[in-house]
Amino acid sequence: MSWKQYQNELIALGALLIMLFAYMYQHNKVTSQTEHTRTLQHSLEELQEVVALKKVWADKKTNKKVEKLQTIVPVSKVKWNKKSKKITASYTGLTSSELNALVTKILNIPIIITLLEIQKTGVTYNVELKCKW
Amino acid sequence: MGKTKELLLVYPFMDNVRLEERVNIMLTPQFYTLKKEFLPVKYAYQAKKIAPSLFEGLLEESSDYDYMVFKEEDTWVFIAYDIEKITNFLSSKGIEASMISKLFFAQQSIDSFSRPIALGDKEALVALDEKVVVVPRIALGEEEKPSLGLDDSFTPDKGIALQGNIGSLLNKKQAYTLAAVFMLFAIVFVANGARYGGDTEAVEEELQAMYEAYPTLQSSYTREGIVNKYREIDTKERSKRDVIKTLAGMIFKGVTLTSFQINEKKFKVQFACADAQVAKRVKQLAKKAKYNVSKVKGSTDVRIEGTI
Repeated sequence: MSWKQYQNELIALGALLIMLFAYMYQHNKVTSQTEHTRTLQHSLEELQEVVALKKVWADKKTNKKVEKLQTIVPVSKVKWNKKSKKITASYTGLTSSELNALVTKILNIPIIITLLEIQKTGVTYNVELKCKW
Repeated sequence: MGKTKELLLVYPFMDNVRLEERVNIMLTPQFYTLKKEFLPVKYAYQAKKIAPSLFEGLLEESSDYDYMVFKEEDTWVFIAYDIEKITNFLSSKGIEASMISKLFFAQQSIDSFSRPIALGDKEALVALDEKVVVVPRIALGEEEKPSLGLDDSFTPDKGIALQGNIGSLLNKKQAYTLAAVFMLFAIVFVANGARYGGDTEAVEEELQAMYEAYPTLQSSYTREGIVNKYREIDTKERSKRDVIKTLAGMIFKGVTLTSFQINEKKFKVQFACADAQVAKRVKQLAKKAKYNVSKVKGSTDVRIEGTI
């Protein structure tokens, strides 16, 4: 038996193998390209997230915004202690509307609340706030 | 290479043979149809292209013919043959395809037919008007009696190789058709692969712009460190603010905040409720928010606790 006897099959088989290699090439190319696209997309999303997070939590204007927590209620009701990027504040005798305004302000400033304590005494409220940024 | 093999003359009434080794086969005119034409073409492949039209009406339509074309001086010689019919006959005489080296046609060796060659008792092979033909031996004169023996000198240069035609699952046409289809797909796959660039251009441009705007964030390690740090802060702080907003939603008519405390890990709050109905409503809201609820003994106050 000679291989030449099966040369027709060999021709078809050879072409089939070439087709399979071509398919593998296409598959690998698409897979690697998809992976590359995914990596790029991930990098972009990560970068956008970093920028967005830094914009909120490392905002240089936060220092100024925090000052408003001292002025939002009458000065007589506030004991203010600011050290670097940390604040300890005590509010006494706040009316409910003052309390509302203060809490709303605290929630809207990008600070890390380490402690927020509210205590009702009679008809007024005492507030203890510890925060940093 | 073909000439080194024994040349076996094959004709319809021959006896069965038993072969020990591969042989060349010379076919008598009963196995092919011959036509000679003067054609203004230079190459055999050009002549071969028009071979089917030359034999139109001369061949059996039910058979599948192949063609051999060669040149004799100024004339093109066309031979039409049915390879399946030939191999079936050879097989019936004990000559299997695997034992055949090459097939030749008697016409190819016309120059060697200086005298007739006997085909059994009744017929002979002779060259007549530039064609090798079969004639009855009785028609030959005394001096024309077949005396020539067939030897290797009759073997032409060009023959038909049976390999690939016989004993195959695919015939030549099927094989080439399949190969063409596979190659077509291969070309499509390669073209697709080479062309595929993904949809990265817009992303790359945007990324490049971001790198230019924030050069310190080009390193993925740096980015990862920053993301991890701020993501944790962001998640926790958003969670604290959500808790405060949810608890604020529990203050409605009949509910008063008595105390509230939230730190890095947990919170607790106490509401004074006007009556049991209000307390029940507050409890429902707290349970809906999946907070821990407890009653304060001896009052309608509700205490709520939870983790950040």
